[in-house]
Amino acid sequence: MSQKILILDDDSDFNSLLTDIFEQADYDVTSLTDPEKALESFKANTYDLVVTDHKMPEMTGAEFMKLIKKDKPEVPVIMVSGYLENETIRELIRDGVGGVFLKPLNIFSLLERTSELIEECAQEEAPVEPSDAGEAVVEESDASEISFRSYPCLSGASVAFAERISNVANFESTLSLIGESGIHYRTICEDIRLLGESEDDEFIYLSSGSFSPEQTLSLIQQVEDKGAKRVTCVILDSEKMNDAQKVTATELAKRTGAFEGMSLRTIFCVNGDLDSLFDAGMIDENLYILMGTAEVTVPPLRKCDADIEVMAQQLVASAAQKRAWPSIPRIDRAARDLLRKQPWAGNFKELSDTVDRIIAANPGASIEHSDVREALKVEPAADIRSLLKTHLSGEQVDLVRAALILSESDVDEVAAVLGAQAESIQPLVN
Amino acid sequence: MQQHRTLILRGNRFLGSALVERGLLSTGDLEKANGKFMDAIQSSDLKRASILSSLLFDLKTLDESALLEFLVEEEKLGLVDLNYSELDSLRPMGIEADLCWATSTIPFDRIGDFQMVATCYYLSQPVVKHWEELFDSNIIWYATSTLSLTRALERIEEIHEAEDAAAEND
Repeated sequence: MSQKILILDDDSDFNSLLTDIFEQADYDVTSLTDPEKALESFKANTYDLVVTDHKMPEMTGAEFMKLIKKDKPEVPVIMVSGYLENETIRELIRDGVGGVFLKPLNIFSLLERTSELIEECAQEEAPVEPSDAGEAVVEESDASEISFRSYPCLSGASVAFAERISNVANFESTLSLIGESGIHYRTICEDIRLLGESEDDEFIYLSSGSFSPEQTLSLIQQVEDKGAKRVTCVILDSEKMNDAQKVTATELAKRTGAFEGMSLRTIFCVNGDLDSLFDAGMIDENLYILMGTAEVTVPPLRKCDADIEVMAQQLVASAAQKRAWPSIPRIDRAARDLLRKQPWAGNFKELSDTVDRIIAANPGASIEHSDVREALKVEPAADIRSLLKTHLSGEQVDLVRAALILSESDVDEVAAVLGAQAESIQPLVN
Repeated sequence: MQQHRTLILRGNRFLGSALVERGLLSTGDLEKANGKFMDAIQSSDLKRASILSSLLFDLKTLDESALLEFLVEEEKLGLVDLNYSELDSLRPMGIEADLCWATSTIPFDRIGDFQMVATCYYLSQPVVKHWEELFDSNIIWYATSTLSLTRALERIEEIHEAEDAAAEND
């Protein structure tokens, strides 16, 4: 599932550094120091990108690039070098180089450009209108073709999930993602958006704590004004919807009422299984059937143990980038093992919070077992407080809405009844 | 039938998902069948509330012979035509015809400790679970066509009506 990169550099130290950089960023790397062997490997394998040094004794990087471009011109090439004449750079650009980076390397720019080039290449290769429906189906169902961001897909559970998501990405009306709390539903929905066939799809995210028909219509209108031909409404924490929101959700999914005639799809993100919610009276018959039309179970993190260390490393890289650190701290083996062994009851959210604590402690170049152990020591009281805070803020919105209905939308009266300032009520009304 | 409303909802939801998961049906076709199913549920016409019937007869988007072939080949079920089975009253077993209509399932014979049960809803886990609980899991499952099942249930109803009439005369 990882994208494949061929690295050619005769300097074994620098080759090793480049390999580390790309492996940490979750690329599948083949690194070679001999241009002839690199050519053989390039011809025998399928690479998404090539990174080559320019100054090598047997062949320059420019010559190497010309040879591989003859064979597969679509594969992007990045050149790295200690020093290059401007004229050489211009020639490289003429010959189709995708990027030129001078040593010392700016790792973030290098990784960013790598990702851009691979994405551009994939877009160019993607058939706009598949002439043969059979071929298109084969591509869709082949997990190795899926670009998946929510899981690195190194475990059976996450690979099966990616395949299932790939199969349902072009769902017509409703889709339910069934999982546990703390799952990164937004990233999963982003994967669904990227895997979908339509380029004019826009996704809007509705929080069960606050969405209303007016807000939903307004959001749909906004993205339609920007050119969206179809809108996918993602309802987060669907199990927490109040009665009015359930009516809105049903109308959205059935495209009736205020949403009649609109080009819409709905994704329900649900923490808990539909039968338990139905038995507990939290969803009615309509929603039970609508949500059950196409459901995909999202694997909890504990079932994807091989993915955890890569996800943690990606979170570390992202945090380091935000802080503009010159290098990305690397999680050592003992620390990775410790991360894998955790139950992760809070799933991705808990992993992300743990990495945040590790980074906040400024671990240096290497994240060790002790760093992870310290970050995992969270006082239970703090978690309960934060859970309660989240719960109360959801209740607060419901309470204000109920008071507004009773007072016929008189914000001042609601503020007086609740003993609050009208200004603090207004944001909740909005 | 109202007492089986939850089982009907659950049985049909699982059947729809199972048909999609096994590649026998597209999500779009299931959405259309779900719409018809919910119409039947909400009009309290529970006897007509069957996703399978909608798919086979209203929408004609599912091929029953392909479904039966799948059940025989992949699920290793036997296939039975109930038109050739002798049927008896279900009441000695404490079973009413309503439950059979609600689950498109019928017990049709017994061999020793094992009950032979024919169904159109074998892919629906709640239906299978419900019947296995009734017979302590001692079931030999058979697949049957919807027409064969419908005719068999009509015969069972005739048997039950005859029993009722006899009881009234006594």
